Amino acid sequence: MKTAGGGKGAPLLEVRQLSQHFGGLKALDGVDLDLSQGEIVSVIGPNGAGKTTFFNVMTGVYPGTEGAILFNGEAVRGLPSHEVIRRGIARTFQNIRLFSNMTALENVMVGRHCRTRNGLLAPLLRLPAYYEEERRIEAAAKDLLGFVGLLSFGNHLAKNLPYGDQRRLEIARALATEPKLIILDEPTAGMNPAECERLVELIRRIRDRGVTVLLIEHQMRVVMGISDRVVVLDYGVKIAEGKPLEVTKNPRVIEAYLGKECD
Amino acid sequence: MTPVSAAKWAGLAAILVVPALLGSGNYAYLVQAGGMIGLYMILALGLNFTMGYVGLFDLGYIAFFAAGAYGAAICGAYNVPLLIELPLTVAFAVLLRLGLGVSILRLRGDYLAIVTMGFGEITRLVINNLDSITNGPKGMEVPPLQLFSWTLSGNLGYYYLIAACVALGVIGSRRLEDSRVGRAWVAIREDETAARLSGISVNEHKLLAFTISAGFAAVAGMIFAHWIQFVTPESFVFWESILIVSMIVLGGMGSIYGVLLGALILGGVPQILQVFLAGSKWIDYRYFFFGVVLVVVVLFRPEGLWPHKRRQAELHEEAA
Repeated sequence: MKTAGGGKGAPLLEVRQLSQHFGGLKALDGVDLDLSQGEIVSVIGPNGAGKTTFFNVMTGVYPGTEGAILFNGEAVRGLPSHEVIRRGIARTFQNIRLFSNMTALENVMVGRHCRTRNGLLAPLLRLPAYYEEERRIEAAAKDLLGFVGLLSFGNHLAKNLPYGDQRRLEIARALATEPKLIILDEPTAGMNPAECERLVELIRRIRDRGVTVLLIEHQMRVVMGISDRVVVLDYGVKIAEGKPLEVTKNPRVIEAYLGKECD
Repeated sequence: MTPVSAAKWAGLAAILVVPALLGSGNYAYLVQAGGMIGLYMILALGLNFTMGYVGLFDLGYIAFFAAGAYGAAICGAYNVPLLIELPLTVAFAVLLRLGLGVSILRLRGDYLAIVTMGFGEITRLVINNLDSITNGPKGMEVPPLQLFSWTLSGNLGYYYLIAACVALGVIGSRRLEDSRVGRAWVAIREDETAARLSGISVNEHKLLAFTISAGFAAVAGMIFAHWIQFVTPESFVFWESILIVSMIVLGGMGSIYGVLLGALILGGVPQILQVFLAGSKWIDYRYFFFGVVLVVVVLFRPEGLWPHKRRQAELHEEAA
């Protein structure tokens, strides 16, 4: 699979003064964020701080009220989600959202949708283009299932997979869209320490493919272990940003939120 | 040959040969019943795109069957040849559906069901009142199907034509469901938000499935009109839309063979009962039986009688 080129340092994402208001509620208020190619950045903050809202605006679920999101230099705020995904941002969800009654392999194959082109005619007439593209879709999907360690579960319905595997399947589906930036919304939620460990390792391998990772995470051990930088949100405002250890010593962060002890 | 494939071939042979043998004997009505069941199969296969794959409830689908039937009737009145009538009628139904879809597909669930139900009834009322074009409640006569100098008449001929269309419908459905677009449809049904955020243009794909449904309905409507040689608004009542939805629910949403089975049961049983119960007081209860069957199925087998099985891929570790 193609990975995004360029080394560390190239600006991939620039978020400027991003706001999302719901009536009088400022869920997100003037947030700035820069991401470079190949970074792993964590967004932390107490519940209701606006983390998921931030991700939702970034992926076109909410249009955003003000501000700009430049991805690879292109303005993407307000684009429909599938257009954002096509430009190379993929995401997973806080509450796992798989296509429950499709197999694990099919879930990942769906992720290839935006990188493939067959319409109605090729499959209806079973043209060579159909077979050729289906073969490529399936091969790429199997490759990704293998990458997240689920290849042998490819024919299982997504809803029958264990919880931890569902999380990883969701990541595989997101990777299938060939993102340059993957946004993970609480990937370790509900996982035991061993599963956590495997996921951290997976996140590192994703970064090693050249994909930049932005994640919301509550488990401080995970955050401290893998983040190049940490961004702290509180009441929709960015209150701190920096290296993991710096951030935890920041008095404003300590005041707003001490973080949950990892068990 | 395995027993299953033997049974398949035997079933296929029965479908093709038995009607010809029934001829004009006591059971000739079965050929007509078979034809009607076939039309329901085409309709159910068509609605399966909207309802089975994408999961959109459509309670006004019969409107597009009506569009096909009246397309045939009006073309017949002006002696339009079949080769022009067919694309014209299908295009009309598809465009009508497209217009409806563009305006209502943002709605979800119950709201969509209510709006489509309204559309179905509006269509019937328009046909009923547009005297100058549709001849209103008096209905229109329709000439039999004619291709160049060859005319198709008699129940048996239409039975085979319908069977051929069902076969084409099945092949088309199978090929589309196992494709990039087919997977996108099912993904939308399973989780619209996740589908959108997996890079699928949800609205376009909904619209696509929605319009394909109209194509099936238009073809079924055309055949129906030419076969019965008469159309009235009475044939396109709300009940018929419900019936087709029930076929899909009974058989299994998104399952081609389930949908065919649903059409066979819900399209066939009332007709058979009508013959067997003719004259008995039970005939008034035939739809009651059917309601009971539906309730039982929904309670005890909510996935339908013949649910869809997802395709199993070959998995081996060295996959590219």
